[in-house]
Amino acid sequence: MSTDDRFSKDAQRYLDGELHGELPSDERADTDRLIEAVDAYAARAQPLDASLDDAVMAAVRGRTPARRRVGWRWLLEPRQVSLRPVWIPAMAAAALLIAWLGVRGPGTGEPAGTAVAVADTVFVRFELAAPNAREVSVAGSFNGWQPDAVQLVRGETGVWSTTLALPLGEHAYQFVVDGERWIPDPTAHAQVDDGFGGTNSVIVVGPRGVVRS
Amino acid sequence: MSVKRFLNLALLLALPCSAGAQEPGLRTQLEARGLPADLVTEVETIAADATALGIPARPLADKAIEGWAKRVPPPRIAAVVRQYATQMARAREAVTSGGMGEPSAHLITAATQAMASGIDGGQVEATVRAAPGPEAAGPGLNVATALHAQGISAEQSVGVVVEAWRRGEPVSAILDMPSLARAMQAQGMSPAQVGQRMMQGMSGLQGGQHGRPAGVPPPEGHGKGTRGQRRP
Repeated sequence: MSTDDRFSKDAQRYLDGELHGELPSDERADTDRLIEAVDAYAARAQPLDASLDDAVMAAVRGRTPARRRVGWRWLLEPRQVSLRPVWIPAMAAAALLIAWLGVRGPGTGEPAGTAVAVADTVFVRFELAAPNAREVSVAGSFNGWQPDAVQLVRGETGVWSTTLALPLGEHAYQFVVDGERWIPDPTAHAQVDDGFGGTNSVIVVGPRGVVRS
Repeated sequence: MSVKRFLNLALLLALPCSAGAQEPGLRTQLEARGLPADLVTEVETIAADATALGIPARPLADKAIEGWAKRVPPPRIAAVVRQYATQMARAREAVTSGGMGEPSAHLITAATQAMASGIDGGQVEATVRAAPGPEAAGPGLNVATALHAQGISAEQSVGVVVEAWRRGEPVSAILDMPSLARAMQAQGMSPAQVGQRMMQGMSGLQGGQHGRPAGVPPPEGHGKGTRGQRRP
């Protein structure tokens, strides 16, 4: 129950010291009792010893900071660095080498500009009519050909479907039916020999999505 | 602070940067997918030979992983990976003849697929030569391959891409071509007609309600796609 339920607005103003004696007698008696109780409690409260603050602060300062904090403090506190000038060109060359290795990337020779074509992703819907299948998944270049990574959901008519966010560009894939049969998507943009005696389906994802047959 | 401590600090700060630039090793990648040790060793050897010729190892590893996922026997996987490396070497030759001195893995893979689908080395070379930049050549070859797979002649497929570049079409617009071609064929156009229409330019196809084939999502900002839509 809140104070609002027990005291009228005028009683609350009286408690705040805004009114002086304009309350009905019964309400005034209640508020006066409350004021007396508060005063009595305040009188019994022992003031804290001033030395307690010092003791608490000494204990806090004496606590060993975590290693991570020590590291940060070491990094953040200003320090003087003395350096022989001969080291400056050596360190500059090292910094350039590190920057070059970072830009060069993982060694595939992939130009940074390719990101323009592949940075964006588009939702692409995959569908396969397989009324008798127990489970259907899709595996392809976009998920490392993992046969159980993306499961399709069966619709009422026996059409299995899923929607994936794929980067712009070309993707090869196959459907995996019941965990063992790899079958191509007849609606894809292209069907290519996978080299293993099967056929990979290929779609080229553009910014407008994918239109199949 | 001493120079030694300063250099140690610099090295510590540099380590994550250089570590981030490293790709997981080929062996680790193959082992993580459960390929048997003998096959891993064989693929590693093929990849090492290929890398010495300037062919990227990653697509070869991906091919081996694909075969293993499809439960192909290891000897067959090794044979396919070796054959793939040979195809990539031929594709690399065509690409470098087109003026790309150090082609990317994506470009070599795209050229390999193009040549496997029936686009000849000369056409790959011409496509690469016409590309406005190295980042455009790979997607351009992907699109030419997909158009050719839809029944458009190799010459016309390559021509469509090259003409689009000449008109200054961005890579993103070129990537829409296979879907546009599919939609036009769904309307009853023959592959030759589709090729001819696309050679004339995409602007008429993309412009208004009358020019856009049915089923082709409108340009962004004008509505949602039917089969795919841009991620928010």
